[in-house]
Amino acid sequence: MDLKLIRPMTEEFAEYLRDESRSVGSAEHIAFPRTQDEIREILKACYASGEKVTVQGARTGLAAAAVPYGGCIVNLNKMNRVTAMRHEGGDYYITLQPGVVLSELKKMIGSKKFDTTDWDEASNAAYVDFCKDGEFFFSPDPTEASATIGGMVCCNASGARSYHYGPTRGHITKVTMVLSDGRTLTETRGGECANGYDAVFTCDDGSKISAKLPTYEMPKTKNASGYYAAKDMELIDVLIGSDGTLGVVSEIEVKLLPLPQIIWGVSLLFENEQSSLRFVDQLRGSVEGVASVEFFDSGALDILREQKKKSTAFSALPVIEPFVNTVVYVELHCDTEEQAQQRLFAVGDAFTAAGGKEENSWVARNQSDLDRLMFFRHAVPESVNMLIDQRKQKDPTITKLGADMSVPDAHLFDVVKMYRDTLKENNLESATWGHVGNNHLHVNVLPNNGEEYARAKELFKVWAANVSKMGGAVSAEHGVGKLKAAFLTIMYGDRHIDEMRALKRAFDPKWQLGVGNLFTEKEGI
Amino acid sequence: MKIIVCIKQVPSTNEVRMDPVTKTIIRDSRQAVINPFDTYAIEEAVRLKEQLGGTVYAMSMGIPATERLLRDAMARGVDKSLLLTDRAFAGADTLATSYALSLGAAQLGDFDLIICGKMAVDGDTAQIGPELSAQLGIPFITDVCEILEASEKKLRCKKVTDNGFAEVEITLPALITVSKDINMPRFPSISGVRFSLTAPFRSCTAADVGADTERCGLTGSPTQVVRSFTPDRSHKAQPLTGSMAEIADAALKIYEEVR
Repeated sequence: MDLKLIRPMTEEFAEYLRDESRSVGSAEHIAFPRTQDEIREILKACYASGEKVTVQGARTGLAAAAVPYGGCIVNLNKMNRVTAMRHEGGDYYITLQPGVVLSELKKMIGSKKFDTTDWDEASNAAYVDFCKDGEFFFSPDPTEASATIGGMVCCNASGARSYHYGPTRGHITKVTMVLSDGRTLTETRGGECANGYDAVFTCDDGSKISAKLPTYEMPKTKNASGYYAAKDMELIDVLIGSDGTLGVVSEIEVKLLPLPQIIWGVSLLFENEQSSLRFVDQLRGSVEGVASVEFFDSGALDILREQKKKSTAFSALPVIEPFVNTVVYVELHCDTEEQAQQRLFAVGDAFTAAGGKEENSWVARNQSDLDRLMFFRHAVPESVNMLIDQRKQKDPTITKLGADMSVPDAHLFDVVKMYRDTLKENNLESATWGHVGNNHLHVNVLPNNGEEYARAKELFKVWAANVSKMGGAVSAEHGVGKLKAAFLTIMYGDRHIDEMRALKRAFDPKWQLGVGNLFTEKEGI
Repeated sequence: MKIIVCIKQVPSTNEVRMDPVTKTIIRDSRQAVINPFDTYAIEEAVRLKEQLGGTVYAMSMGIPATERLLRDAMARGVDKSLLLTDRAFAGADTLATSYALSLGAAQLGDFDLIICGKMAVDGDTAQIGPELSAQLGIPFITDVCEILEASEKKLRCKKVTDNGFAEVEITLPALITVSKDINMPRFPSISGVRFSLTAPFRSCTAADVGADTERCGLTGSPTQVVRSFTPDRSHKAQPLTGSMAEIADAALKIYEEVR
């Protein structure tokens, strides 16, 4: 291809063949567009040549959605500007290019400092209001704050606080996508809707895309598995979570929320796992203002204890006494300190009722203590990654295997029992943490060798089948990407996968975008 | 063992904001925290109490809102608190502050040990500990990073020096200031928070502690702050163009200007 924007893939771009999942792909070309028009030019050229296109953000994904299976990489890192602000009905909305990094966005919102070059008059007026107004935040908080907004939209990312505020989807009010043939499509919250399962998407040039939406019933739990599909749904939701398979997201508008006045956290130290689950069950619905409910099992705590002993980088971790088997972290978002106290004591009551002792808790009521509890949370995955890297030196075929499945509330005890029983039967070491409030645990198998790794991979298929039977999701927040495509088929079955294929085909007739993500191409659909 | 911990309310972030008109630190009570070094003092006092038995008192001189932070100390294992609060104490330098604290300590009766953080992060003077010990006529050790041995009669401490460490023994009653290496402060527990909110709280005025108002607050402070200002941390980049010789000349000129 002779377009200047598209460069041949050379050694210097090797890092763009992989992402955080540690999968490695291949590509012939790479492009770094700076504007929507440049994305359009690139896609038009690829459409003409028939070349496959894989879109990338910060490549922090864990499901390999950004790993190319040949063709051209479209990396959006250079599209990292905030382009507009809107103030309407007391709310603030900001328009972003897809390559804006979450941590940068948080910093801009927190400090109220934006680069307003090229903003129009209305945006500047909104910005003046914003600066005078109270504090605001963008609630989605995936652990990896170096993720881009585009990536978060593509996999409908979640984080700890999604327990209260929901995943990324609910905070997106407008998405513009460049389609494979170069047309653009903009969908807004409160805009176009499906008629039953019949959808007609109106492109920005007035042309239409008619498609049948998949007819499956989505899990009634946290879910980032396949296309969002429901009767009479808002069409913007088809674009959010589409994993780079329908188009390249080129512009996003997000809605900000008022920042809670008081944020407190408390970690509860349990002597056994069953008590911790009883606590979670009791807590849900009984205490207001709970923003997140996080979990760390004995395997994760043992790894932290070791890290604290071995590495000075982890010496700031609090001492985890030997009696502690499980830790549950609860974050409270409140309007006043009195309200925060009441809620903290309600958490204490639930803790006691579940067999805990209130003296075995760590309360954080200022930023420094909250930072320490945050460090504890982030130290878990980091320590596990370090452990796996050590083991990988002995056997390069192994890698971390982390589950990202969720089930409805009624199945919390069942799903934990399933994990425990099957890990024991298979004699596999594990460390588990995650969003227990949503029954969404990252069970990480820690294989010692290739044989254990292969056994664990098989076990994940069993889990996917069982979780699906419980009405759960095979991916709750990481997205399906390429690595979990087989699980998606287990979850929805061939008929519904074909429905998804048909939807993709309506958007991407030459099957060029995000090849390998969600499902594979099938002739005749 | 009766231990007194001195704590100070400081702004919560490193980005201390100065009032452009009054040139004083803007103190927002919602954002105020216990001086980080003092949190290590609290922890060490509570550990000594757990080891040897006794009572830990937290003491502070400050505005009435400091009660919140003293109660926070109680949530972390401190038993009782004393707040010295009075307009007469306002504007105190380290001499006037240590005088007020010495009267507060006298109010609490015979004590065995006073623990302070090595310094406060807003003033950075590291003077309160030594000055307080002088006011009370007791010995002191600064920058303690480990208590090697403790009894009702004496302490053996490891302290940080300019060249390394020193081991120092001190007879009680005495005062020590502690560095961040000494321990890992605990979190409050829910039961600790419950206790702290309902525990009795004592606050005293200058008159209550029999203070000589000539030695308190601004009046009793010989320190003169000549000028305080926010350092200019702005950066400017200026591209230099032209031939090598022209660039060198331009660079030299800028150097002469800023030198």
